[in-house]
Amino acid sequence: MSYTEEYKKSLGYYKHVSLFWTDLVSLMSSRPQSLMATGPFRKLGVNAKKANAEMIEINQGLAEFNARLGEYYKQLTDTWNEAQKQFSKKVPEIPTDTEHLDATKRIWIDIFENYFTRLFDSSEFAENFGKLVSSELDLAKHWNNVASLMLETVNMPTKKEIDELYKELHLLRKRVAKLEKISNHGENGNGK
Amino acid sequence: MKKYLTMEKMEMESELRIDPKILEEFLQMNKNILDAPKLVAAPDEISMEMTPYDVVCSEGKMRLLHFNSAQKKQVKTPLLITYALINRYHILDIHPQKSWVRNMLEQGLDVYLIDWGTPTTMDRYLGFDDYVNGYMDNCVDFILKESGIDNVSMQGYCTGGTLATVYASLHPKKIKNLILTAPVIDGSRDSTVVANLAKHMDVDKMADIIGNVPPEFMYYVFSILKPFEQGLEKYVQFFKNIHNKEYVENFIRVEKWLSDTPPIPGELFREWIKNVYQDNLLIRNQMHVSGRQINLKNISMPVFTQVAVGDHLVSPECSMPIHYAVSSEDKTLRMYATGHVGMIASSFSQKKVLPELGQWIKERSEK
Repeated sequence: MSYTEEYKKSLGYYKHVSLFWTDLVSLMSSRPQSLMATGPFRKLGVNAKKANAEMIEINQGLAEFNARLGEYYKQLTDTWNEAQKQFSKKVPEIPTDTEHLDATKRIWIDIFENYFTRLFDSSEFAENFGKLVSSELDLAKHWNNVASLMLETVNMPTKKEIDELYKELHLLRKRVAKLEKISNHGENGNGK
Repeated sequence: MKKYLTMEKMEMESELRIDPKILEEFLQMNKNILDAPKLVAAPDEISMEMTPYDVVCSEGKMRLLHFNSAQKKQVKTPLLITYALINRYHILDIHPQKSWVRNMLEQGLDVYLIDWGTPTTMDRYLGFDDYVNGYMDNCVDFILKESGIDNVSMQGYCTGGTLATVYASLHPKKIKNLILTAPVIDGSRDSTVVANLAKHMDVDKMADIIGNVPPEFMYYVFSILKPFEQGLEKYVQFFKNIHNKEYVENFIRVEKWLSDTPPIPGELFREWIKNVYQDNLLIRNQMHVSGRQINLKNISMPVFTQVAVGDHLVSPECSMPIHYAVSSEDKTLRMYATGHVGMIASSFSQKKVLPELGQWIKERSEK
C-alpha cells in the first residue's frame, strides 16, 4: 500500500469516526435539548451555523462590491480630470473681464456635461454600473437570509413566506377580478 | 533684496484685486441665499393639486381622476390620460398657465386621468397584465358606462405611452383615438443614458431580491442625465431669480415633482425592461401579456405621435417607430423643438403642442 493510499484511508477513517460520534452525541443529547424546543435557543443553535456561512459570504460579496465601487469612482475621477484638462486649454482663449464671467461658466458646464454624458453613455460605465448594482443585490440577498434566520428563530414569518403570501394574494385578487368581470358581463347581457 | 520684495508685494496686491462687479454679484448671491427661506415656501408646505377633480373609481393603489370643468363639452368622446410609471401625474397640471389638463378642459374635452398611486411591497407581483387588462381596462369600462358611448380617446405619456400602446393592441375596439406622447417603444434605438443603463441591468435579480424598484434608484438614474446643468446650474439660477415670484414658485413645484418618485412594482419593471429595452420584443410584435401576443398591427384607429427633438429621457428614435408599426391609415407624427418635460408643461406646449392636439382630437371625436 502506497503512502498516499495509506493517508487517504486514515483520513477517511478519521472523518467516519468524527461523524459517527458527532451524530451519535447529537442523537443522545436531542432529548434534553427538546426541552428547549419552544424557546429561541434551540433554533438559534441550529441556525447559527447557517448565519455564520451567510456572514462569510457577505464578506466575500463586500470585496466584489468594493472593487466595483472603486472602478465607479475611478471612471468619474478620470472623466473629471479629462474635462478639467480640456477646460484649462480653453481658458486662455476666454477674455478675463467681468462681462465674460457667464460665458466662462457656460463653457465649463458644456465641457463637463459633454465629458460626463459620454461616460454615462459608454458601455464600460453601464457594464460596471450593472455589476455594481448586482453586487449590492448579492449583499442584500445574504442580509435578507440572515434576517430570515433570525425571524425563524423567534417563530416569525420569513421574507420568503411573506412573499409567497403576497403572490397567493395577488393570484387570488386576479381570480376574483376575473369572476367579477364575467358576472358583470352576464348581468349586462341579461339586461339587468 | 528690499526692492525685490516690494515688487513681489505689488504683484500680489494686483493679483488679489477683485473686480467690484464680481464682488457685488457674489454679495448679492449671498443675500439671496439668506433671503430664500423668507421668500419661498418649503416643498413640503406646497400642495401639488391644481385643477379640482373627483376620484370616480379606485382599485388597490390606483385612482381614476375626473377633472371638473365649467367649460361646455364640445365632444362626447372622453379623453383618458395614462400617466407614466415614473414620478407622478402632477406635472400634467403643474401650474395654471402650464397645465396640460386645464388646457384640454378649456378646449372642451372631458378629461380623466389614471393616478397609479404608490405601490407597496405587497404590489411587487403586479405586471403588465394587471396594469393593462386590470386597472386600465376597468377604468375604460367605467368611463364607457358613465358616458354611455362605445370608445374613448387614450393618451399615454412616456412609459404610460407603452402601456397605452399595449392596451390599444389588446382592446382596439374600446379606443377611438390613440395619442402617444414621447412613448417608450423601440429600446434598441434609444440612445439615452437611461436606455444604456437599462440594457446592462440584471433585472431578474433586482425583482427577485428586492421586489419593487426603490424610488432612490430611479432618482439616481435621472440625476446623471444632465449632472451639471440640472445638478448645479439650475440651483444657481434659482437663487439668482429668488425675487421673481412666478419663477421660484414654478421651480419649487417642478423640483417637488422631480423628487417624488414612487416605487415601481418589481414584476412590471422586469417585463418593461426586458420586453422594451433588452429583448426589444414590443416593436417586433413578439411581446406577450397574459399569454396574448401584442401585435401593433391591431392598432388601426387614428394615432397621433408626439416626440421632442431634445428629449434626453426617451430619444425620438425610440418613439417614432410606432408611427410606422401601426396599421392605422389616419396617423400623424409631430416633432417639437423642446424636451421631454417641455413638451407637456411649458409655455411652448400651451402655444404649440396642445392647440394642435386638441384640434386633432375634436376632429376625430363623437360630437
